[in-house]
Amino acid sequence: MAHDLTDEQYNSQVSAVWKATLWLSIITIVEVAVALVWYYKLGSDHKLFLNGFLIIASLLKAFFIVGEFMHLNYEKRALTLSILVPMVLFIWGIIAFLIEGDSIKNLRGLFN
Amino acid sequence: MASTDISHEIDWKGGNRPFQARYGKLMMWYFLVSDAFTFTTFLVTYGLIRFSSTIWPDPNQVFNAMPFLHGVKVPLGFVSIMTFILILSSVFVVRAVQEGHRLNKNGVLKWMGLGILGGIAFLGCQAWEWSHMHHEGMWFDRNSLQIVPKDFSPTGEALTLSPAALEEAIEDGLFTEAQVTEMQANGQMKKAPVNFTNLFFFITGFHGLHVLSGIILNIIAWINTAKGVYQRRKDYEMIEKMGLYWHFVDLVWVFVFLCFYLL
Repeated sequence: MAHDLTDEQYNSQVSAVWKATLWLSIITIVEVAVALVWYYKLGSDHKLFLNGFLIIASLLKAFFIVGEFMHLNYEKRALTLSILVPMVLFIWGIIAFLIEGDSIKNLRGLFN
Repeated sequence: MASTDISHEIDWKGGNRPFQARYGKLMMWYFLVSDAFTFTTFLVTYGLIRFSSTIWPDPNQVFNAMPFLHGVKVPLGFVSIMTFILILSSVFVVRAVQEGHRLNKNGVLKWMGLGILGGIAFLGCQAWEWSHMHHEGMWFDRNSLQIVPKDFSPTGEALTLSPAALEEAIEDGLFTEAQVTEMQANGQMKKAPVNFTNLFFFITGFHGLHVLSGIILNIIAWINTAKGVYQRRKDYEMIEKMGLYWHFVDLVWVFVFLCFYLL
């Protein structure tokens, strides 16, 4: 609620959004370019590095979307925390279930 | 954010306003948190199943078709365009929210209209991709892809072959028909798991459903704006709420894009 926005504030908000757009586009283009170069040059070697890069790049994109587009950078800190802290559970979830998946694969090898 | 703003007092009958945010916006945020958990459980399931599989299709070789460019292989080309469309659509809606803060009705109409068009374009692209994959023999519980692991591949790299790609490989002399039959018989060329298609169509479908409902709600908000409902209230909070939902859909796509197309 800011119908009391000054022109300056408005202009700076608008330019912040276009800047975030530029970043999102650049990151996406780099992601796809790196994935393709890897695919053609290195094939399936050292995929771990590629995947690490892609995950970090995606998290960076998420930061721009949530921070700028969804305006979370400008909300009260407590609101930001109440939204982001529950997400910490995902770290456990992802690690635990990927390890579980790997274990299932190994067991399959054992019993097949 | 003046505390004299009457609408805030109506929002929170209890008096204090948590986080100095308005009721509708706060509740939208917490809905999105719960929706983030839903999507994450789906993607984690995808991760678990993929990690537990001995073979998995290579996205670079599955998603390489372009509309109007028949026979030309552009790995990840079309999906990059889709991603870009959704990002742009999201940006348009941010602009609509900003114009709403300025009580600029025409600005809201213009940017929200562009955002809706972007959403429709994205869904159109997804429909094309789905129909293309269906045409190639992929659907729920059906997967026509065949995989040649690295060790048995004539090119030295693992191959993911759709029926059309396999035909092409035979034409190019990569395999003979007899070799293909033999490789299939002794397990050097395997059917790709149906888990791949099930997860793909389910998760991108669930995301597409979010896009669809977002478009419908955005259209309703657009009509209300055109009728001057929010202008009379001197309050474009509805546009802000719809904006949050729309950006969330974009956010989820970042991770769907990552999991299905990039990794």
